[in-house]
Amino acid sequence: MAVFDTPEEAFGVLRPVCVQLTKAQTVENVAHLQAQLQAVSDSALQELQQYILFPLRFTLKTPGPKRERLIQSVVECITFVLSSTCVKEQELLQELFSELSACLYSPSSQKPAAVSEELKLAVIQGLSTLMHAAYGDIILSFYEPSVLPRLGFAVSLLLGLAEQEKSRQIKMAALKCLQVLLFQCDCQGHPRSWDELEQKQLGDLFASFLPGIATALTRVITGDFKQGHSIVVSSLKIFYETVSFIMADEQLTRVSEVQAKPAAEHRVAELMVHREASWVKNTGDKLTVLIKKITECVSVHPHWKVRLELIDLVEALLLKCSQSLVESAGPLLKALVSLLNDESPDVQAQCNKVLRRFADAKVVVGSRAFADILSENLHSLATSLPRLMNSQDDQGRVSTLSLLLGYLKLLGPKVNFVLNSVAHLQRLSKALIQVLELDVADIKIVEERRWNPEHLHTSPETPAAGQWTLIQRRYFRFFTDERVFLLLRQVCQLLGFYGDLYLLVDHFMELYRESVAYRKQAAMILNELVAGAAGLGVENLHEKHIKTSPEELREIVTSILEEYTSQENWYLVTCMEAEEVGEELMVKQSGLQALTSGAHTCQATSSPAFSKPGPTICSMNSNIWQICIQLEGIGHFAHALGKDFRLLLMSALYPVLEKAGDQTLLISQAATSAMMDICHACDYDSLQHLINQNSDYLVNGISLNLRHLSLHPHTPKVLEVMLQNSDASLLPLVADVVQDVLATLDQFYDKRATSFVSVLHALLAALAQWFPDAGDLREQSLGEEGSHLSQRPARLENGLDVTTAEGIEQFVLNYLKEKDVAEGNVSDFDNEEEEQSDPPEVDENDLGPHVEPPLPVQIQIATDVMERCIHLMSDKNLKIRLKVLDVLDLCVVVLQSHKNQLLPLAHRAWPSLVHRLTNDDPLAVLRAFKVLQTLGGECGDFLRSRFCKDVLPRLTGSLVSQAPVSARAGPVYSHTLAFKLQLAVLQGLGPLCERLDLGEGDLNKVADACLIYLSAKQPVKLQEAARSVFLHLMKVDPDSTWFLLNELYCPEEFTPPHPSLHPVQLRGATGPQNPYTANVLLLLQQLP
Amino acid sequence: MADLPLPPPDPQFVLRGTQSAVHALHFCGGAQGQGCPLLLSGSLRGLVHIWSLQTRRVVATLDGHGGQCVTWLQTLPQGPQLLSQGRDLKLCLWDLAEGRNTVVDSVHLESVGFCRGSILAGGQSRWMLAVPGSGSDEVQILEMPSKTSVCSLKPEAGTRPGMPMCLQLWQANSSPRPLLLAGYEDGSVALWDVSEQKVCSRIACHTEPVMGLDVDSQKARGVSGSAEKVLAVWSVDEQQALQVRRTHQLTNPGIADIKIRPDRKILATAGWDHRVRVFLWQTMKPLAVLAFHSATVHCVAFAADSLLAAGSGDHRISIWSLYPHT
Repeated sequence: MAVFDTPEEAFGVLRPVCVQLTKAQTVENVAHLQAQLQAVSDSALQELQQYILFPLRFTLKTPGPKRERLIQSVVECITFVLSSTCVKEQELLQELFSELSACLYSPSSQKPAAVSEELKLAVIQGLSTLMHAAYGDIILSFYEPSVLPRLGFAVSLLLGLAEQEKSRQIKMAALKCLQVLLFQCDCQGHPRSWDELEQKQLGDLFASFLPGIATALTRVITGDFKQGHSIVVSSLKIFYETVSFIMADEQLTRVSEVQAKPAAEHRVAELMVHREASWVKNTGDKLTVLIKKITECVSVHPHWKVRLELIDLVEALLLKCSQSLVESAGPLLKALVSLLNDESPDVQAQCNKVLRRFADAKVVVGSRAFADILSENLHSLATSLPRLMNSQDDQGRVSTLSLLLGYLKLLGPKVNFVLNSVAHLQRLSKALIQVLELDVADIKIVEERRWNPEHLHTSPETPAAGQWTLIQRRYFRFFTDERVFLLLRQVCQLLGFYGDLYLLVDHFMELYRESVAYRKQAAMILNELVAGAAGLGVENLHEKHIKTSPEELREIVTSILEEYTSQENWYLVTCMEAEEVGEELMVKQSGLQALTSGAHTCQATSSPAFSKPGPTICSMNSNIWQICIQLEGIGHFAHALGKDFRLLLMSALYPVLEKAGDQTLLISQAATSAMMDICHACDYDSLQHLINQNSDYLVNGISLNLRHLSLHPHTPKVLEVMLQNSDASLLPLVADVVQDVLATLDQFYDKRATSFVSVLHALLAALAQWFPDAGDLREQSLGEEGSHLSQRPARLENGLDVTTAEGIEQFVLNYLKEKDVAEGNVSDFDNEEEEQSDPPEVDENDLGPHVEPPLPVQIQIATDVMERCIHLMSDKNLKIRLKVLDVLDLCVVVLQSHKNQLLPLAHRAWPSLVHRLTNDDPLAVLRAFKVLQTLGGECGDFLRSRFCKDVLPRLTGSLVSQAPVSARAGPVYSHTLAFKLQLAVLQGLGPLCERLDLGEGDLNKVADACLIYLSAKQPVKLQEAARSVFLHLMKVDPDSTWFLLNELYCPEEFTPPHPSLHPVQLRGATGPQNPYTANVLLLLQQLP
Repeated sequence: MADLPLPPPDPQFVLRGTQSAVHALHFCGGAQGQGCPLLLSGSLRGLVHIWSLQTRRVVATLDGHGGQCVTWLQTLPQGPQLLSQGRDLKLCLWDLAEGRNTVVDSVHLESVGFCRGSILAGGQSRWMLAVPGSGSDEVQILEMPSKTSVCSLKPEAGTRPGMPMCLQLWQANSSPRPLLLAGYEDGSVALWDVSEQKVCSRIACHTEPVMGLDVDSQKARGVSGSAEKVLAVWSVDEQQALQVRRTHQLTNPGIADIKIRPDRKILATAGWDHRVRVFLWQTMKPLAVLAFHSATVHCVAFAADSLLAAGSGDHRISIWSLYPHT
């Protein structure tokens, strides 16, 4: 674009313009000149630099008032020239510098002249361009003591602009210019590296400006947040670059005590500063005040870039001026540390980087002074922590705790200096304990119950390993923010990681034992300490730190575990149910202690007036949480020890399993997740695997605890959980412990039958599941029976459908055949086969190949259990009776293939069972029916006659006698026992008849008794139940049922299929409706 | 709480899984460079189980007696070698070093009785072994590991003590001569001088067969139990004469095994009444009755530390921590 390449050509063009300008100093002329300059090449311009500058400088220097517009255009023009050329002469540089800065000088005031913003901007640009245009060696000689006044003027001018201008643009420009002046410009080609001597020279020179720069910038930085983040960022940058340059330890160590005679005139020499020790001390103190202001203000600055810059500030100052600014280290570290958990990830990352760098450079660890400062900070923070936690909001708490965390991170292994001081440790622990106090007033904790006992099977499917950080939601008294809790955990983990674990564990164990008020918090802290000690969740900044050895850790964990699972800390009162409390009575002695001492934490709800201190909601909640925390701790310990934890399973697994069967939802959840943790940590595939592999340990615990059942009332539950979660491989062990169980049961028939019965139930359910061969057979026989029953209707249908002569003939033949069979003339092959196929098959499959003198273990167990059931069936407690009937049912299933064992037992159980059927609560009646059904399936012949003799008459009798009562009764009747009994009998009879394959006479008895209940006058439920009886009867004997029903009500006329036959007239006339119509119609519809 | 009597003591833990009655027990301390301490148990079905006391689980099973009851287990002081005596008329020497478990040698026995052997090993490579001999009333002395028969101790013609029921080789503090204490079927205990092959002394301290005896070599005092209700404490004087010091009446008859703890403070008996009884050795003061098993206790053993193990017909081995010595 340049038109004039040579100086000659350019001169020819520029000369008239310059002359013109010299003559008439107008804006137009300046503009003209600048326009012409555009066309001149850079090299030509460099040649003509002095010539062109002359008229411009002349314009500036002309005395008298000038128009601002003119000055501005001149300055802009000079800037343009300088931007394309170099200043090669020292003098020119100095003069231009003065002339430019003078443009903003107002003699009247200290402040910058009140000129237009454009002019200010132009001048600042000019100065900046000038400094950039100066040649490398010239610029250095520019910074001589003699230039001090001029430079000082420019610096204060720029600071003034930066501080007081309104325009953001000017402020930025001024700051930028200041950076250029102070050699902090980051543009390329600007000299930035100096040798030692040059550094010292510059440092001495700039030291004079330090107070001005520092205070002015501090004002800018701490000014309104609204001024824009870039200004603050630049100001921070200049601040720390300047301070770290002037106060650099490196430079200061070389400053001699005696001031060298300055090679300058006296006036200037007065302005010079000698950076000797006392000056450093003074300046350091003053800077500390400023730095404190800055860090406090900036660390909460809303813009993240500002906070990011603060990190750089801290880094620069701490790395370069660790000695000169030792007083500021506190606030600086605090600022850094508080940004560790900044909401901006960039800030966090940078902060971590810097911390790591500090650790690498041993800034803290290498320097005693820093460590002292940090310990002091930590101490004072610990002191004020409880107060801060109380008074601050969650945001404040987060930052306070971040600070604490940061101190610990920085101190690293040196944290032990702090912990070794009893006072410090106590402060810290008190603070943690207080903050972690749980809110235990929530009633839901106690209320929530575990309903599904099979819960373990469906528990969280193998969450990814390393999920140990997931824990139950807690509610704290002093905060709600999850982040606060997370920080607290991290604090504890760090303590565990760097601190002396023995010391810490001892201390917190003491607190744990000291009072119930501390117990939960102390346990939480202990859990995290151990996790931290194993390096879980800890980011190590100090490479040389040696972790606690696995052996030590195991020892520590063992002792904590022992404490956690000890009688008085593990068996706490957690629910109020009468039965449970009864069971717990024995434990009370130890439990009460915990209760009474726990009561003071929530006096609002616990009334001291109770003569007998019952458990309050609060104390139970507290107990529940304590157990949960301890369970969670066991999970943590497992992760901390990894496979080493396997050795501890012999003592830890039993208590955890015990809690897995707890009724309180929270506890059983916590226990389950602890088991999952153990699975992961010890490398087991699943809970089942864990339990299976360690069943020997469990059995050991169970059998020993059974010996002192009153002290360990939950032992049966463990066995229950174990049984539910293991497989047949366990049988030998189970057989061993079952002997203990039965022996104990025999001792405690009266008191603890409930828990034992449920164990027996679990046991038999497990056996039935583990040895399904028996179960399969049963299914199979059921299926056969089903098909056998469904065949007949199908045949009948065929016969009825065909209305031809042959069809009728066939039907009659069929009928005769069946009649023969019914009368006992068994000549039918099909039927014979069907009827006899069942029993021999069973015998072959089961007894044949397996006949061995010693019974299989499971059979022996089932026999033993059934023996007990016979006794327990008449227990006073209905719940027990019901459960026993269930167990009995399962016993029969397991024993079905061993008739030699089953039949004698069934014989002995019979009287009691009859009693249940005829003379017990409706619920028991129903269960008894179920047992009877199962029993009927297994030993039908054995049972049929007894049933018909002992039970059936009484049942039908009672049904018949009660029928008129229920027919007349009002709606309230359905709440009476009589009604429930009727219902139970009706519901039970149907399936039983089918199952027992009763004879026709007995069936008729049943049908007769139930017919009355088909009346619409009966309560609806009884009608339904009666219908169900008939549905079952239909399956056994559809023909007679059909006939019976039609006797009651006949919905249609029967026209004979052939005229030669007589029309049939049944008793239940089609005519008028009767009370049975509806039900009979319903039933007939379902009759195939 | 303090008013309540202490609950009956419980075993520290119970080892399950032998699946048959336990007839022999022997502790093998961790001192021999094996790491964790071990417990060896011999079962009715001829298996020897090696239990780790750290994990409380079987670490190895040795099958060398053809399904016949293992009656005696003993490790040698010089290295990880195990002697096991079975009713298959074999005495096996096992090498257990570095996880090996192979029979390196075996001795054929002549007697089918229940009499357990005994060894006397003073730390040298040669050691003495006493086992029931070929004649029904003989005791055979062998020198091991060469298996050379040293002598056969046969009671004098006039006496009819019956079969030897239990043996204990020992060396009195006063003289280096090896002695053998043998309990016989007729209830007598005899002290043999092995080198001279003669009975030094004999006492009839029981009326039923002597089932077990143990001797405190420092005090030259021993104790024996039999099928009856009495424990007898006897001593050997300077002239090597046995003397009954005292007897102790038991509530139930039948002692299957009797052991004095290595520190010679307490002793334990294995009872046919399913109980283990613990006495103060000095005074024979009864200290505890350990009721846990549901069948005859066949054997007891003490570890170098305070652990006591009892093996029983109920297939379980109970481990007790008793009065740990200070």
